[in-house]
Amino acid sequence: MATSDTSLVKSQPKSSVSFFYDERVRNFFYQTITAGTFAWLVWYLFTNTAHNLEVRGMNSGFGFLFQTAGFDTDFKLIEYTVGTGTYGRIFFVGVLNTLFVSSIAIVLSTVIGFFVGVLRLSTNWLISLLALTYVEILRNVPLLIQIIFWYLGVFALLPKVKQSADFLGIAFLNNRGLYVPSPVPGDLFWMTMTAFVVAVVAAFMLRRWARRRQEQTGQQFPAFWAGIGIIVTLTGVVYLATGMPLSWDIAALQGFNYQGGFALPPSFLALLVSLTIYHSAHMAEAVRAGILSVSKGQTEAANAIGLKPGKVMALVIIPQAMLAIVPPMISTWMNVVKNSSLAVAIGYSDVVALFMQTSLNQSGYAIEIVAITMLFYMTISLTISFFMNIYNKRVQLRER
Amino acid sequence: MAEAIHTGEIRPPPTVQGTWFAWLRDNLFSSWVNTLLTFGALYIIYFAVSGVWAWGITNAVWEAENRRVCFDINPDGACWAGVLAWFDNFIWGRYPRGEMWRINLGALLIVVWMVPIWLPGVKDKIYVGFSTVFLYPFLGFFLFAGGEKGLFLQVMLSLAIVVLIGNTLNGYHGVRSGRSLPEVVIAGLGMKASSDKVQRKTLLAIFAAAFALVFWAQMGWVLVSVEWNLWGGLFLTLVISGIGIAFALPGGIVLAMGRRSQLPVIRILCTGFIEVFRSVPLITILFMATTMFPLFLPEGFTLNKLVQVIVAVCLFNACYMAEVVRAGLQAIPRGQYEAAMAMGLGYWKMMGLIIMPQALKFMIPNIVGNFIGLLKDTTLVSIIGLFDVLNMLKAVSQDVPWRGLHKEPLVVGAALFFVICFAMSKYSRHLEETLGGGTQR
Repeated sequence: MATSDTSLVKSQPKSSVSFFYDERVRNFFYQTITAGTFAWLVWYLFTNTAHNLEVRGMNSGFGFLFQTAGFDTDFKLIEYTVGTGTYGRIFFVGVLNTLFVSSIAIVLSTVIGFFVGVLRLSTNWLISLLALTYVEILRNVPLLIQIIFWYLGVFALLPKVKQSADFLGIAFLNNRGLYVPSPVPGDLFWMTMTAFVVAVVAAFMLRRWARRRQEQTGQQFPAFWAGIGIIVTLTGVVYLATGMPLSWDIAALQGFNYQGGFALPPSFLALLVSLTIYHSAHMAEAVRAGILSVSKGQTEAANAIGLKPGKVMALVIIPQAMLAIVPPMISTWMNVVKNSSLAVAIGYSDVVALFMQTSLNQSGYAIEIVAITMLFYMTISLTISFFMNIYNKRVQLRER
Repeated sequence: MAEAIHTGEIRPPPTVQGTWFAWLRDNLFSSWVNTLLTFGALYIIYFAVSGVWAWGITNAVWEAENRRVCFDINPDGACWAGVLAWFDNFIWGRYPRGEMWRINLGALLIVVWMVPIWLPGVKDKIYVGFSTVFLYPFLGFFLFAGGEKGLFLQVMLSLAIVVLIGNTLNGYHGVRSGRSLPEVVIAGLGMKASSDKVQRKTLLAIFAAAFALVFWAQMGWVLVSVEWNLWGGLFLTLVISGIGIAFALPGGIVLAMGRRSQLPVIRILCTGFIEVFRSVPLITILFMATTMFPLFLPEGFTLNKLVQVIVAVCLFNACYMAEVVRAGLQAIPRGQYEAAMAMGLGYWKMMGLIIMPQALKFMIPNIVGNFIGLLKDTTLVSIIGLFDVLNMLKAVSQDVPWRGLHKEPLVVGAALFFVICFAMSKYSRHLEETLGGGTQR
């Protein structure tokens, strides 16, 4: 085309069409239009919002974070008192509650998920059928229905305070929640904690040493059990030597309710149970897919060199499967944190319920509160995906 | 070596192989650990099934006036009487009982509309899909909302009906003879010999005549207006998730292409948009929609809550779909892009003719997975006060005769969702198998 038309192009002055067909000009043009539209949209929304706020006489700014909130919460991990506690404080109470329930749910769902995922691949037909049923039922029913079912259908129907279920006299379960002993550290308890940290570090160093020795000499050393031994003995000895400086505050029935201990409300229990089992099903699928992604030849090769079935799993299959398991596993963890926001449906005081619902309704600072809450979730997601990227890079390097 | 093997006596295969006994031995009792596990599993299954059976069937009460009567008959069983009394509310919400036929008709019409996609021999299936997404909503809106209809709605409604009829006839002829409707019409008029131009003009004239006829007919149709706050139950859940699904795919494709664009401004805007929406929970976006949209819009211009929710759900799902599409686009080898460019195709032709058709095939399992997620997530609208199916399930326990009846409605709701979602995921696996065949060498 271009060669045959040279004469034509020469005979005509440069037209606006050919100018527009210059790629750089076009790219610039498109981008300017996009940026312009975006800027106009932002400006439009901003002026509308400013006008609406003025018309409705609503305040704006972040000063409200230092005003007293004036409402109470049934579950808090840090000190908060009605009357003096601020909205900022309420935000942190909510954030901690969100992180509390989601971190426990993450640990439990990962453990259960691994277990079910392995069962799903069992050679025993009935066992794998059971695991399949578990996964399919939990994955195909909305989480919110499950949460509400556990809350209204199970934990709200527990016995009354007087007929509490009693676990060995230290934990009590009734329709007001689960009362577990809370630890009360004594003066010298910091020494036990220090000993524990030191022992853990020592155990890790032992493991590195054992691994290096095995690489050099081929001799094995039971580093895992030795590490456990170090941690238990060192921590135990220091604990006993300092005179057992940890006591437990056990809940006791006083009048119409239990006092003391650490009270976990039914909403927390329902949320924890449903988050755990719902995501354990997703985790199980990730584990199953990961293990299946390791080719059968690997198992056969490991069997051929005479590894025992347990070692085949631990040394050959799982390390390779982890490459495929980790990315979906981490996105499941992120989903646990995000889905813990459904707490608002059953009144567990997470950051959405406390801050985005109650605080917003009371104070009316809609934009600020929505922005802060979203920023919180975005921070968590970005942090997790940051570490995820580091992991991926390391794994990819190791693969070469 | 080969000789050594063949000279020996050839033993017959073990006789028990392939029988039920061998199956039992291999799959259930291969070792004593396995035997133990089998009996453990049998016990669990017995325990669960007998418990559910006793609660849900043998001890259940099917007919009662209220929960007290249920208790008096059998306190250990499910009180299905309450569920039965409320079942219409689960499906149709608080829609006026005399007008329920409109929802049923709407549901029937969308099924009729989409059936040709699954029929063998039907031509131009892609248009069936497009017309469902772009025209059915007008028909649905007219049926569900009713009330005064403006000129635009009248035109679109007539268009939808004409297309629906044409679509159905096209499907019928496709199954019967493998021909498309235009071919049949041209053949019927004996115009096969005419030029393309004349044929096209004739078809257009027939279409215009049909449109005029339908337009004239629909002018007399009047439906009572049903306010959006009476919409509810499974119907509302399906409306919200249906619009979300219809919007998510095109929105996701646009966002994903923007994210992979060479132009930095477009890329950054799309990436930022996708990442923000994906990193926050849906419920925060719903709260944002209900609290901040009214502030964003010009004074005096209000959206009702349903529209706010639908906008939020659409944006949220477009962002999730964008990541699915992006993964699909990344799976296409670079050579395909380069080959398309070498052929002299522009960006849009390259995407539309070469890349997207291949990528969409890869994406089907994930797209369906996303749809399932969207359907399940739609229950969240109950938190901000829409009477979707979940809120209807919860409302039973607020009703005076059935006060405190929590478990049974929720079990029914869970079963309802399970059936829909499980069927969808099974269907997507089937699609994956039938479509995947073409991509493997």
